[in-house]
Amino acid sequence: MTEHTVKSYGEELNHLAAEVTRMGGLAEAQIADAVECIARRDAPLAQQVVARDERLDILQGEIERKAFRLIALRQPMAMDLRHAVAALKISMSLERCGDMAKNIGKRALILTDAEPMTALTRSIERMGKLVEGRLKDVLDAYSESDLERAIGVWGRDEEVDEHYNAIFRELLTYMMGDPRTINACAHLLFVAKNLERIGDHATNIAEIIHFEITGEEIISKRPKLDTPR
Amino acid sequence: MSPVKPSFETATRVAARAALPVLVGPAAILVLAAAGGARPGPAVLTAILAGFGGLYLNARVRRVELEAAPVAAQAPAAQQKAPPFAMILERLPDPLMVIAADEADDLTGRRFVFANAAARELFRIQREGTLLVTAMRNPQVLEAVDEALFGDIERAVEYETGGSQGRSWIAHARPLSEGPEGSRLAMLVLRDETDARRSERTRADFLANASHELRTPLASLSGFIETLRGHAKEDPVIREKFLAIMQAQAERMARLIDDLMSLSRIELNEHIAPLGRVDLAMATIDVIDALTPQAKEKAVSFDPVLPPRGAAVVEGDRDQIIQVVQNLIDNAIKYTPTDGVVRVEIFPGLAADAAAGPRDPAAARMSLLTPDHAAGERYAALRVTDRGPGLAREHLPRLTERFYRVEGQKSGDRSGTGLGLAIVKHIMNRHRGGLTVESVQGEGATFGIYLPMAKAVATRPVAASAEA
Repeated sequence: MTEHTVKSYGEELNHLAAEVTRMGGLAEAQIADAVECIARRDAPLAQQVVARDERLDILQGEIERKAFRLIALRQPMAMDLRHAVAALKISMSLERCGDMAKNIGKRALILTDAEPMTALTRSIERMGKLVEGRLKDVLDAYSESDLERAIGVWGRDEEVDEHYNAIFRELLTYMMGDPRTINACAHLLFVAKNLERIGDHATNIAEIIHFEITGEEIISKRPKLDTPR
Repeated sequence: MSPVKPSFETATRVAARAALPVLVGPAAILVLAAAGGARPGPAVLTAILAGFGGLYLNARVRRVELEAAPVAAQAPAAQQKAPPFAMILERLPDPLMVIAADEADDLTGRRFVFANAAARELFRIQREGTLLVTAMRNPQVLEAVDEALFGDIERAVEYETGGSQGRSWIAHARPLSEGPEGSRLAMLVLRDETDARRSERTRADFLANASHELRTPLASLSGFIETLRGHAKEDPVIREKFLAIMQAQAERMARLIDDLMSLSRIELNEHIAPLGRVDLAMATIDVIDALTPQAKEKAVSFDPVLPPRGAAVVEGDRDQIIQVVQNLIDNAIKYTPTDGVVRVEIFPGLAADAAAGPRDPAAARMSLLTPDHAAGERYAALRVTDRGPGLAREHLPRLTERFYRVEGQKSGDRSGTGLGLAIVKHIMNRHRGGLTVESVQGEGATFGIYLPMAKAVATRPVAASAEA
């Protein structure tokens, strides 16, 4: 409990996973704050979100270095190798999630200048909560090595897609109804798209966890919705 | 606060010093037993906590030597007089953890050295020495813990956990003394603020919704009153007609207020798991009986497919389950055309996937509520199918929004309050259940709910019959 250097190989692996989990917490907070900026029109918070993205990048770099070091020095096999690779891949996914949160933050800054559109931002908020929940689930699954939970996240992607499609239609209606809203609506469309992509990353992480634990790819086909016309 | 704090700090410091020698020797076991800590908890902490016990006794004789054995020496007396502090902390309803760290820059290396029962349950901590981040990812809380560990700063952080049953917490991080071998200790206590937050939010929502939705019938009421006092004063036919409309509007307002009240009540309790058991099939039969007159009026008949008594017992609050079933069947009656049939089916013993799964692959489908994943949980599902106009895909995600109305629907039937499905969703969320909708436009819609089955029953033949 009180060693200074990481004692064993197993501990080093655990540490790597913990590092990824910590990064996950940061990504979660970024996404939650980004959605909050949109919903509450909070410009200072949006600036914070944009500024904090760097921390995720730094963490990702660290995890990458540690994973490479571990692979190079310990030459892990089988399960251990999968742990190391999973940490590497998940951290990359999380870094992308952070980028998207940052992008949402930037758009929130622009949106605070425009007229409020409560009905739309509420839809975005709902979708955001859904995506946050999925990311939380998949990160819980990762830190607890809970395969079933990961599969649960993996199979439920359609909910996010449905929300995205609904928002897409809603925004089109708005833009057609009042061309003055086009600017703001276009930004909201990208926000929704970003959230949808974060949802995809959660699914992706679930797949990585599946491979990490079982050593096999998920084979069956995931239910997928068509993009709206 | 202030008279308590310093003494607490001294207590910790002294206790830690006193506990250290005890740690190594067999005396630790003695202390454990004396403190009533039969739990195989982390020895360090239990010993420290037992140190508290010793100290409590020593309060008056504090200056008496505290160096090596006093804790153990106090043990027999502690059994009689001192409250068992270790057990008190263990049983505390608020999650309490003690975190140790060795180096400031090893951010991931923080570990739990103690977590009480509430904390272990909340974070699913299996053993001592678990890394802090595996249980707590929130960056703000982690920062506060770091400040307590290495900056001796006390801080409180508010944070929320996501998921369908999101909770609000206040996390208090407090520095403790230095632990053994130069590692540093800090305490983290969480307090559940969900109730306070929720009632705040619910009140705001309630006012916003109520004022908006009540204004419409109120406006028409006052309009009619004005007319009745004016030129319709002497016309008995018109007066009769207006009074009938006014009564309908007043009833609508009453219904709306009832629904709003019950919705806010449900929301307030949403994070508290319901106690009790309900036989879903029996509840459904009761609801069908109660709604038969209403169905007869429209010449709508029921086609129930129900399991035998006792086969679909779920964990739940009977009144709320009845309300869910009633809202669903009531909706189905409303949207089924005259001479139509409302199908009501119950399937017990399903896994989560099967319970939420689609029935008609061609239908537009949406899960309006998905419970947090629980391994091995069995569900009982209820599906109510109407032969109404059905719903277009784009409306599905918004059905449980308050006062959401599907456009283009015949406005003839305005008896609904627009809250029925919102109520269903909140009740299902409280019950850790799910809600799905499936619809083919022009052919009708199926609303499905599923609830976790009551534990003792789920293992009995029920599960077997479901597989058969």
